[in-house]
Amino acid sequence: MKRRKIDVRALPANSAKALDERFQAATPLRRLMNKVFPDHWSFLLGEIALYSFIVLLLSGVFLALFFDPSLREVVYDGSYAPLRGVEMSQAYNTALQISFDVRGGLFMRQMHHWAALLFMAAIVVHMFRVFFTGAFRKPREANWIVGVLLFWMGFLEGFGGYSLPDDALSGTGLRIASAIMLSIPVVGTWVTTSLFGGEFPGEVILDRLYIVHVLLVPGALLALISVHMGLLVKQKHTQWPGPGRTNNNVVGVRMFPGFAAKAGGFFMIVFAMIAALAGLFQINPIWLFGPYKAAVVSAASQPDWYVMFLDGSTRLFPAWEIRFDFFYGDGYTIPPIFWPTVVLPGILTMLPIFYPFIEARFSKDKAVHNLLQRPRDNPLRTALGAMAIAFYVVLLISGGNDVLADKFHISLNAMTWAGRIGLLILPPLAYYVAYRIALGLQQHDREVLAHGVETGIIRRLPDGKFVEIHQPLPTGNGHGDEHGLDYAGWVVPKKMNRLGALAPTVKGFFYPIEKAGPAPQPRQIEEDRDREEITSGH
Amino acid sequence: MTSEQSKRPLARLVPGGARAARGKLRRRLSAAVRLVAALTVVGGLYTAYAPGVGRAEETVKLSEGAAEGKAIYEVSCITCHGRNAQGVEGRGPSLIGVGSAAVEFQVNTGRMPLARQEAQAERKTPQFNQEQAAQLGAYIQELGGGPQLPDSQSLDEEIKKAQGSDKILAHGGELYRVNCSSCHAFSTGGGALSSGKFAPSLEHSTNRDIYAAMLTGPQNMPVFGNNQLSPDDKAAIIAYIQNLNENKATDPGGWNLGRYGPVPEGLVIFLVGIAALVFATLWIAGKS
Amino acid sequence: MTTHHSTDVEFDASDASLSRFDLVKEGARRDGVQIVHYAPRFPVPGTRAERRIERVLALLFLLTGLASTAFVVAYIAWPWKYGEGDSTYRSLYPFYTPVLGATLGLALLTLGLGIVVWSKKLLPEEVSIQERHDGPSDSTEQVLTAATIMNMGDELGLKRRRFVGLAFLAGAAPLGAVAGALLVGSLIKAPTQDGENIFFTTGWDPKHNDGKPVRLTHEDGTPIRPADVSVGGQITVYPGIPHGASNKWADSPTLLIHLREEDAEATLKNVKEVNKGSQWQNFVAYSKICTHAGCPASLYEQQTNRLLCPCHQSQFQITDNARPIFGPASRALPQLPITVDDEGYFIATQDYKIPVGPAFWERP
Repeated sequence: MKRRKIDVRALPANSAKALDERFQAATPLRRLMNKVFPDHWSFLLGEIALYSFIVLLLSGVFLALFFDPSLREVVYDGSYAPLRGVEMSQAYNTALQISFDVRGGLFMRQMHHWAALLFMAAIVVHMFRVFFTGAFRKPREANWIVGVLLFWMGFLEGFGGYSLPDDALSGTGLRIASAIMLSIPVVGTWVTTSLFGGEFPGEVILDRLYIVHVLLVPGALLALISVHMGLLVKQKHTQWPGPGRTNNNVVGVRMFPGFAAKAGGFFMIVFAMIAALAGLFQINPIWLFGPYKAAVVSAASQPDWYVMFLDGSTRLFPAWEIRFDFFYGDGYTIPPIFWPTVVLPGILTMLPIFYPFIEARFSKDKAVHNLLQRPRDNPLRTALGAMAIAFYVVLLISGGNDVLADKFHISLNAMTWAGRIGLLILPPLAYYVAYRIALGLQQHDREVLAHGVETGIIRRLPDGKFVEIHQPLPTGNGHGDEHGLDYAGWVVPKKMNRLGALAPTVKGFFYPIEKAGPAPQPRQIEEDRDREEITSGH
Repeated sequence: MTSEQSKRPLARLVPGGARAARGKLRRRLSAAVRLVAALTVVGGLYTAYAPGVGRAEETVKLSEGAAEGKAIYEVSCITCHGRNAQGVEGRGPSLIGVGSAAVEFQVNTGRMPLARQEAQAERKTPQFNQEQAAQLGAYIQELGGGPQLPDSQSLDEEIKKAQGSDKILAHGGELYRVNCSSCHAFSTGGGALSSGKFAPSLEHSTNRDIYAAMLTGPQNMPVFGNNQLSPDDKAAIIAYIQNLNENKATDPGGWNLGRYGPVPEGLVIFLVGIAALVFATLWIAGKS
Repeated sequence: MTTHHSTDVEFDASDASLSRFDLVKEGARRDGVQIVHYAPRFPVPGTRAERRIERVLALLFLLTGLASTAFVVAYIAWPWKYGEGDSTYRSLYPFYTPVLGATLGLALLTLGLGIVVWSKKLLPEEVSIQERHDGPSDSTEQVLTAATIMNMGDELGLKRRRFVGLAFLAGAAPLGAVAGALLVGSLIKAPTQDGENIFFTTGWDPKHNDGKPVRLTHEDGTPIRPADVSVGGQITVYPGIPHGASNKWADSPTLLIHLREEDAEATLKNVKEVNKGSQWQNFVAYSKICTHAGCPASLYEQQTNRLLCPCHQSQFQITDNARPIFGPASRALPQLPITVDDEGYFIATQDYKIPVGPAFWERP
């Protein structure tokens, strides 16, 4: 190994000593560096969100240098000819300036927007992982709740960013947001006029939204992310069940040197993906939309994907209005938009927040769980999750149903009805299918454990019968065992000669190390490294 | 305003109108009176059409082009639009008063002749060349009048000039966003209407197509007559549309994903972003 | 935090015979981590395979440098101004952002790949096991902490000095209200202006025009004559008051439609009480603001006389009081009563009779 030898030793050692004298950092720092992380791809999904957030902060600071969220009327005089001479708000004007008159500004704007989409996408995918593996169970309920809040904070932050440039899509989105606020019973009009400073659009909304977008919500996100990470460090990572892995340990690599390097590399890869998207794919071409005018709208007006499911629910909800008519006065109204945009998100926040406790109550499970469950090992939860995903996907697709209707020549009205019916039928169907699949996979695992792996070799017995030969699994005691293995919720090999399908993180962990050693070794080195072999987890 | 208004009196005379006028009272009248009434209606219809038809065929000679157009009409259009373009109920509307603008739009964009009866006629390869379309247009024009198109060369020149002026382009953009984008979308890519109808994409439309469509309001498109959008306004709108179309390939900021808005952007973030990064996680966490 | 592993054996860190890895292992042990497997990828230094990986790494990092340099060069030198320069400049311009994305993406990707390859191929294989110590605290610990908290209550004497406690509450509660009052009081705004609910009026109210009926105008403020709208045509009109077409009057944009003769008759036949007298000849004017979520409902189909809103696909039947016939909207679009004044221009005889735009609690 080439390790650079630092001969000017005195300086770093001395400064380290000086620091430790003041902060007593040695022990906690080493403890952090020695923290063990389990190695599995699905544990990296949340990191995508974290890294996207860092990119969002960086690109957001760049944009803030040039953006002015003012609704003051100005006349555009920038580079984009088809808008020159058009009256617009200063917000839209500066957003156009960033796109056309700031060197690399469009690139940064697109980077910010793509990073936002990736941030939300990674959060959702990460939540699915956590849900389907049961990682939210005791003791991690609090971190799950923080995660749910992070989703909604990201949702708000994204919607705010989408609304700030004051192009025609932004304004339409804000108009709908004001309609949603208006629909709240009793206080709706007061809430709306208070936030907008009068009737929509008023003159203050962008200034307020800006401070929400650049200070309040990012601050909340930062705080929640800190809590999320802090709890992760405190409670340590969950891990998949497997040899040597118990509820009381974490098996993996220490943060230094292995994990930190991988995480750093992955950050660069995520960053690279965002940069590539930002350069190669146009996003939100605001110059096509024109400034927001109350009378202007475009076919296929859509929010960003993470808001689209609520747009979908709004499109699908029937025109059910509730009226309260009394003997006096003109009566009161609850408009139909209230249910899919206020009540539904409320349910969608509360249900996941309480899910860990509901599940624990029904399964009477009060134990601490540091080992994950494979989705097949908890068919009920998997089926519920599949049901939720089906529900969500129907709403998501309905949010873009006009684009689908137009591009695939389907009747728009038919799309709406398909969504309404699909919303009722598909989730139970998904529940049933997922449940059966989970049970089936589990059953197959048990079969393999009992009889071994299918080899595809058919043998004819002397009496003429045909049998398939199964390759029995090793049982740990070194000899074949007639009774097979117990079901342990581990990965079971399904192919011949792949008995190590558990994906041992390194060679030598699952087998004795001598077996898997590299090519002939000319001489024994590094005698001093004291290896402890573990032959098997049994 | 000539075309639409001149259509109205004729509308009263078509068979549907006559039937509606037949009331209870009339049914009680004797057979003789009914016969007289029927004769009067038939006579009225005859006097309404016969002179026109007579003029076209006999007194006022059709121009040369119109005569050619008539020949085409009688082969390809007459089945649905009837003799002398009066329309056939349930098949095709009357073409009296629609003007050559509508005819040329429908024929040049291939929408007419119709392949089959549908919710909406779609753009397809035209069956007639521009000259034939002009002849057909001339025939219908001479038959019943109506809006006409400027000749395409001068229109193209005007559009070219308009595209050169920021002011006109910006004006066209504003008009486009108020009047057109609600159906044809900001991107000119078109959009869905109710029950399977749709506003078509303007990506491949010629200057004259767009002009004609605004002037005549084909199918469910509202009419934008010259009083509402002056020819200059129309030119400005067309200039803006063509500017967007021409810039489609050279949009700043990378591939524009067809300019369909947040839907393809959402697809990209999952199919490209998340998919690629999940593969990256598999590699990073995988065995080495 | 993990509890300290007591140093059960004497460990002398200054012992010269200890290798660095011995120190690492001892450090890990004290942190509750057992390094059960730790093996170099290339036990023999300098093998061909190792050198190959080193070459790959070097290549990746060089690529990072190249791509980064390319980014900086492109950032400065590539044509970046929209609509400027000669034809070469213009043809290169659209690729400015893609070039930035590609170069920066490549730079970061190669760097990331390099770091990951380094860690996967060159860092030692490792399996470590860290003990967890979750579970509740020691019961003695719990008792001691609880006692510390309770002690404070005792010392404050809240039970004995109830009166002081109540006084504290009486003092602190209003102090808390200060924060709430500041926030709510500064933001709160009643939905009324001059004693009228602002959601019930629009720019069409004659009071905005010195009591005279408001004219229907184009965006630039020019008034509109009946002949300006073709049969089967529609036009967006704004109140003819100062800034009538601006977003200040976001609730006022109206769609003026010139119906065909037979459609106008049907409209008259279907007319509801509230809309009586609103139609002028074959012209009708409906609010453009959707009653569902407030988008401009402006996709007018002139043959079917349907009006579609592009946001949530509510559809309104123009010939039947703009009644919603499909989608989530539950209310008809309000109709603006119009007529033509002495000079031949369209005017609104009065404001909308029912509130325009999305519904709300107080809406009748």
